[in-house]
Amino acid sequence: MHVDKPKHSFEPKIIAFVCTWCTYAGADLAGTSRMQYPANVRVVKFPCTGRIDPVFILKAFQQGADGVLVSGCHPGDCHYMAGNFHARRRFAAFRKLLEFIGVDLQRLQFSWVSAAEAGKWVEVVTDLTEQVRALGPMHEFKDLALAEQWSGKLDAPELQEVYEAI
Amino acid sequence: MTTETIYSAVAEAIRAEAGRILSDGTVTAVVGYAAARRKGSAQPVVITKPDDAARLIFSAACVNNLAVYLTKAKKELPREGRIGIVVKGCDLKALVGLLGESQLKRADLYLIGVPCVGVLGSTLQPAVELDAETIADKCRECDDRMPQGADFVPLVELPEQPALDKKYAAEIARLEALTPAERWSYWQEQFSKCIKCYACRQVCPFCFCEQCLCDRNKPQMVEGTPRPAGNTAWHIVRAMHLAGRCAGCAECERVCPMDIPLNLLNRKMARELKELFHSEAGFEVREKGPLATFADSDDESFIK
Repeated sequence: MHVDKPKHSFEPKIIAFVCTWCTYAGADLAGTSRMQYPANVRVVKFPCTGRIDPVFILKAFQQGADGVLVSGCHPGDCHYMAGNFHARRRFAAFRKLLEFIGVDLQRLQFSWVSAAEAGKWVEVVTDLTEQVRALGPMHEFKDLALAEQWSGKLDAPELQEVYEAI
Repeated sequence: MTTETIYSAVAEAIRAEAGRILSDGTVTAVVGYAAARRKGSAQPVVITKPDDAARLIFSAACVNNLAVYLTKAKKELPREGRIGIVVKGCDLKALVGLLGESQLKRADLYLIGVPCVGVLGSTLQPAVELDAETIADKCRECDDRMPQGADFVPLVELPEQPALDKKYAAEIARLEALTPAERWSYWQEQFSKCIKCYACRQVCPFCFCEQCLCDRNKPQMVEGTPRPAGNTAWHIVRAMHLAGRCAGCAECERVCPMDIPLNLLNRKMARELKELFHSEAGFEVREKGPLATFADSDDESFIK
């Protein structure tokens, strides 16, 4: 059963915010069906996509995510009737804001994955991982979070060298 | 008619109306503008006696959005009876937004609308004349100089609006044409000036939460320090929470001691939401803002 995986110089960290009723079950199905998908994704389970606040996405980027995936039930299938409809509007607006602030929207993916769509989950995660891998590490928010503890950029070469060695 | 003659006629009408509604008991207080100590300057004032109506003024230095005194800063208002309030077009749109969010009741208010030809961009020199140089940026692209739905509006004919270049629209277009990396560095430069004084939050009629998400530390969603991560997160969260609500009074930008172009973010979001969901702040009470409701037909081209 062992599959040889190609070695990459950069493994992106992907945070997936998923709803417990559809996408989490879909990801679970992918697992129990023994489908292979990149281990780069870290799944965080929420009751509903309507619960996912835009600050969670900011926080994920600040804490080292290179890409974020938000995924929930298809429109009309929400366990709470309308949570995903509200989320759809909120994220449509939030995308525009992030774009204006200067964030590359290729790092932020939204999707509808139902409990039966294990294949789609695998496809979405694989595509996003490869897309973010091609873009390289997300340094913008990470630099900010670093500067929160550090007194600014590492502009001295010897400091940079020491930092890289850690 | 010059700005001065228009505003002196407006002020005269405001004084007469405020005196009338206070003496016949329609309202228990009137929130308006009074002269401040420096020549030409103005400050918000709450009056409760008919005699005090003579203190009310209106001029191009009356920049404040008084709607904030009805929610957050309402400590000086009497608890009972209707409250009279002087509102410009943009202030009225903010007030209407508060009505839509059930923060205020229309029956508790007596609205004195101001036919407005614009206010000063900066009140550091309050005695200067209002012209194309000194006018506030928000007034350059104002479409609502005549408030609608107020209980009283002075009968003043407004001259035709001069065509001034729209600074927000031009700046948004300039930024949109840049690459994401260039926009990021532009905004980082702006946000790095932030000292987290929260004047923008304090002056905003829509920031009425008892406890702000950004003040909570369990869990801490936004760092409270005036440092890069916290500043960026604060301004993103602020713009997001005002999206679809902001009426464009630009008070946040006016009070910012570090001159961060806060209203630029608000205008951009207002434009996007109008485009996406055909909803914008106006004089009609919206039962639900664009982000508090949904339609089956909403765009989902960005969702896989």
